[in-house]
Formats: sequence, structure tokens, C-alpha cells
Amino acid sequence: MDYLHNLIRQTKLRIFIVVLIDNGVLIGGWWLGNKILGLNGLELLVLLIALAGIETTLIATSLGNYLTQPLKAVWQAVLHLSPTEQGTAAPNFESLHLGRDLVANLTSRIYQLVSTADQAKQELHRHANDLHENFIAQNLPLPLILMDATETVRYANDAAARYTGIAANDMVGKNVYMVMDMSFPSEATFDSWLKSVKTKTATAVSSWERVRLNVRDNHPARLFDLAAYYNRDNPEHNETMMVMFDHTKEYSQDDQAISFIALSVHELRTPLTLLRGYIEVFEDEIGQTITDPELKSFMLKMRAQAEQLTDFVNNILNVARVDDDQLELKLQSEDWSSTLKSSIEMISLRAKVRDITLKCSISRDLPPVGIDKLSIREVINNIIDNAIKYSGTSKTIKIDTYVNQEGLVETTFQDFGLGIPTSILPNLFTKFYRDHRNRAQIGGTGLGLYLSKAIIAAHGGSLWVRSKEGEGSTFGFTLMPYAQLAEKVKQNGDQEITRGAHGWIKNHSLYRR
Amino acid sequence: MEPPSTTPISPAAPAAGRKVLCIEDEHFISELYTRALTKGGYEVETIADGKEALDAAQTDQYDIILLDLMIPTVSGIEILRVLRDPARVPPIRAKIVVTTNLEQREDVRADIEKQADGYLVKAELTPHELVDFLNTIK
Repeated sequence: MDYLHNLIRQTKLRIFIVVLIDNGVLIGGWWLGNKILGLNGLELLVLLIALAGIETTLIATSLGNYLTQPLKAVWQAVLHLSPTEQGTAAPNFESLHLGRDLVANLTSRIYQLVSTADQAKQELHRHANDLHENFIAQNLPLPLILMDATETVRYANDAAARYTGIAANDMVGKNVYMVMDMSFPSEATFDSWLKSVKTKTATAVSSWERVRLNVRDNHPARLFDLAAYYNRDNPEHNETMMVMFDHTKEYSQDDQAISFIALSVHELRTPLTLLRGYIEVFEDEIGQTITDPELKSFMLKMRAQAEQLTDFVNNILNVARVDDDQLELKLQSEDWSSTLKSSIEMISLRAKVRDITLKCSISRDLPPVGIDKLSIREVINNIIDNAIKYSGTSKTIKIDTYVNQEGLVETTFQDFGLGIPTSILPNLFTKFYRDHRNRAQIGGTGLGLYLSKAIIAAHGGSLWVRSKEGEGSTFGFTLMPYAQLAEKVKQNGDQEITRGAHGWIKNHSLYRR
Repeated sequence: MEPPSTTPISPAAPAAGRKVLCIEDEHFISELYTRALTKGGYEVETIADGKEALDAAQTDQYDIILLDLMIPTVSGIEILRVLRDPARVPPIRAKIVVTTNLEQREDVRADIEKQADGYLVKAELTPHELVDFLNTIK
């Protein structure tokens, strides 16, 4: 406050001196005009007014400049500190005549305040950085790995170190694939994705489910979902970020769990096993003694129905396998003539109980075919079942097999029943697609042809249909001679002839019995 | 064509009093199998409980073991593992035929097939066909 009193005193003193001089000048003027120059009253008045005007202007100008000096200095200090007014010099207190102490004190306080604010800002910034690097990334409970354009790990957080069992320092600087031994459920892997996005885009995001990470030291493998973000222009050169979401527990439980379909099939099969067993016992024990032809036919129909139900249960199972890409076929060299005959024999009861005759004509000199016998049997069953269903009043199904013009073994099944309208034909091999005729009239699941198509496709053949309404339908499929198939497999470099419903499957020796 | 079920079973040659342990918890099924197998010339013992069955199997007095997989106390897969343990001295001489209606994942099934002498889906064969199959197992 002393500085302020000083300023007020100094200001008062200056004003006092100026006013004193001013009055002196006016009195001097009056004296000069009156005594020396001998001016009259009016002339004297004009002289004094002129003097007063000049003086007021001079005083106003000088006092104005003088008294505002401290304020100017403070303003200059503020400008000097302002980041938007670069180039403004610091105020020079030495040239100050008025309130030098006050201004010096005031500006030093302003400088102090600003520097404190600056420090606080820097502190805040540092905290924010810590928050970013240490808190968010480091304490993120999800394993996180950053890598550069050469797929070298640049950063791995604590969770990643715990998850992989490798210290973060040991990961940084190494190729990510050396650190992370991952396997993916399909061919759409992380590395194939990264390779492709690098050539195409600046940024990309993708995710994978059920990724397996093989961990060192015989620890059980980790199972997780993976998300990755690619940003070519990342300023820190952390081009790709990987985050893992652990699901080891759930996924390994899933692997052991019995699927809904497997369980349903199991529950259906137990009573089926029993029904077929009892039917057999009755046929054995009293079959010979039944003389009533109707009862005899009921006995056969009962067995035929049980067999059909068994096939249907297998259809459900195999459709689920096709959809999961789990259907695997072991293709072996088989004699087609005997395979076809025995398959037809197995289903002949179903035709017989409906008084339908299966007429089979097999051309000689058929080469051995490369097939999975059980699956092909399912195809034959499905096609014949279909033909029986849609035979209407006609009582014959014609089966022909021969080598076609392309050298493939072709087999056709012709019925002379209802036929299929042209509009329905394109959808016939779609899952759950049924004929235009209503459900009540003709049963079925809409699974059989879908499954058959997938199985034939997995054999490298094709399934087709020709039909004319009112005249009947012909279904046919082609199979590859074994020699041709083996040649193709050799070209593909596969060790075994095992195929999935959606293409070749490598290195499997599984087969269905 | 004669369906296989009407083929008369001859109690003669292949069975010749071979002993079968039928591990099966569905009583109706073991009943049917016992009937057909006995008619086919086999001597059959049935056990429904997994632990009991494992104890019995380890006495090694059977020629053939029919093994259901979904059984109480000790699972069929576990029984198979114990009986086919390579460290077992001497190894169990019985042929083990897995009989199940449970559909396995292909890799699990392949693993079971490696250890067993047969893998049959019960719903896909009649008791006679089971006997026919066992007759082919030497």
C-alpha cells in the first residue's frame, strides 16, 4: 500500500506544482498586460483567455502523458506476457518518473502469476501424459500390443506381458509373430489381413474370434477374440494396434460341451435303437407265423419308417456339420456298381412298402470312383426318398448309371410322378426349401437335397435336376473316377484325399464309419 | 434281397462262448443286446455303472467289451483311456467296441477310434447287425 500512497503523493505534488505555475503565469500575464503594456479591460480579458487556453492545452497534454505512464508500463508488461502479442518488449522501469516502485511491484506480481499458471499447465500436461501412457495403456486390463510398419513390437502393456508370459521388455523390438504364436480358426488370419490392408488402405479395423495363442513352457493355450486397428499415418509410428479379449475359459468349455444338436440327436437315437431292436425281435420271433398279409405289411412298414427316421436324424446332424464346415469326407476308391446296388438294397424296403419298384440299370466298365461311401449312401437315400414321396400314383423309379461325355460317372434317378414347376426348380437345393405342395400332403424337412448337393460338391461332382410338371423328375449326380481324383489331389499337393463340404481340407485322416 | 435282420444266426463258429462285457446304462438296450448276443453264442455280462464296469473290465476276463460313452460315475472315454493306457502291464486283452449314440467332434471321434477296436452308432444297427459285427472281430 505504501507504493500506492507514494504514487498519490507524487501525483498530488505534481498537480500542485503545475497549478501553482499556471496561476503564476496568469497573474504574471495580468501584471504584464496592465502595468507594462497598458491594455484596456477588454484587451486584457482577451489576453488572459488566450493564455489560459494555451496553458490548459499544454497542461492537459503533459499531465495526461505523465500521469498515465504507470498504467502504460503495466499494459506493456501484460502485452509482453501475452502469447498473441509476440515482439512486445518488457517495460523499462528506469524511465518511469511516476509510481516506479508500484509499477515494478505490480508487474513482478503479474509475471509471477503467469509463471505459476504456466507451471500448473505444464504439470497438468505431464499428468495427462502419464494418464495416457501409464494409466490407460499400462493399466488397461486387456493385453495391448503396438507394432510398427515392419511388424516389430514397439510397446506391450502389463496385461500383454502377463497374458503371453513374456516380459514387455523382451517383446519390444521383436517381430510380433515371433512373440505371438497365434492360430486362427480359418484362413482369414491376422497376418493375411494386415498384408492386404497395407496395400489397400490408410486405416482399417478388424476382429477375429477364437484365436489360439500357444504359450511357452507347456502352459495351456489361450483362447481369445482379437481386435486390430491399422493406421498407416500414426504419428508415433505405432502403425498397428492389437487388443486381446480373453475367453479361454468359455471357449475351452464350449469345446468340451455337447452341442444342442448332438444332444438332441443322442436323445432321438436311443428310442430309435430300441424300436429297431424290438422290430427285429418281432420279425425274428413271430414274422414267420403271421399270415394276415396286412399285418405282414405293417411289420415291414414299421421297419421302413424306423430306418427312414434314422436317416433323417443323420441328415440333421450332417446339415449342422455342413453349416459349420465340419463335414469331412474320406474319399476312397470304391466299385460303383456294388456300392450303388447295396445302397439301393438298403433303401428298397421303403420303396417296397409303397409298392414302388426300383429299376436299376448299370452300364458295364464303370471305373472305380473316389467316394466317401457313407455320405454317398446318404445322397442316394435322400434322392430315392424324394422320388418315392413325389411319385404320386406311378410305381416305378428308374436308376441309371454310366460314364458321361466328360468321363465322369453319372447316376440318374427318374420318377414318373408329379414333377416340379419350373418356378420352383432354382430353389430346390436351398435349405428348408420345400415344394409348392403343402406340408400336410407330403412330409419332409427340406434338408435332404441341400445336404446332398453339399456332399456331391465335396466329392468334386455336381447334382442336377430336370423336371416337367405332370411327367416326373430326374435327379442326377456325377462322381469322379478315382484315378482322376487322385491326379487332382496330387496337383493340389494334399497328402490325403479328404474333403470338406466347402472345399479341400488339408492333412486330415478322419473318416466316418 | 434278404434284409440282414432276417438272416438266421448260427451260434456256431465265431462266437464259441466268447465272453462279452456290455457296459450300457440304458437297460432296454442292454436287454436287447444280451438277447441277441446270447442267441449268437456269446456269454454276456451287463454293467450300467461306469466305476463298477471299469473294475470288472480290469479283471481281464472278457473277450469283448461293448462300451457306451455316456454312462454314470466314470465316463466311457475315461474307461477307454484307463484300459488302453500304454503303460498298463500286461495290456487288457479284450477287444473294445465303442457303442454310442452320441455324436462326437471329428477329432474326438478319431481319438476314440485310435484306441478302440470298433466304433458303432447304436441307432444305425440292429442287435443282429451288432452280432454280425462282433463275429468279424478276431
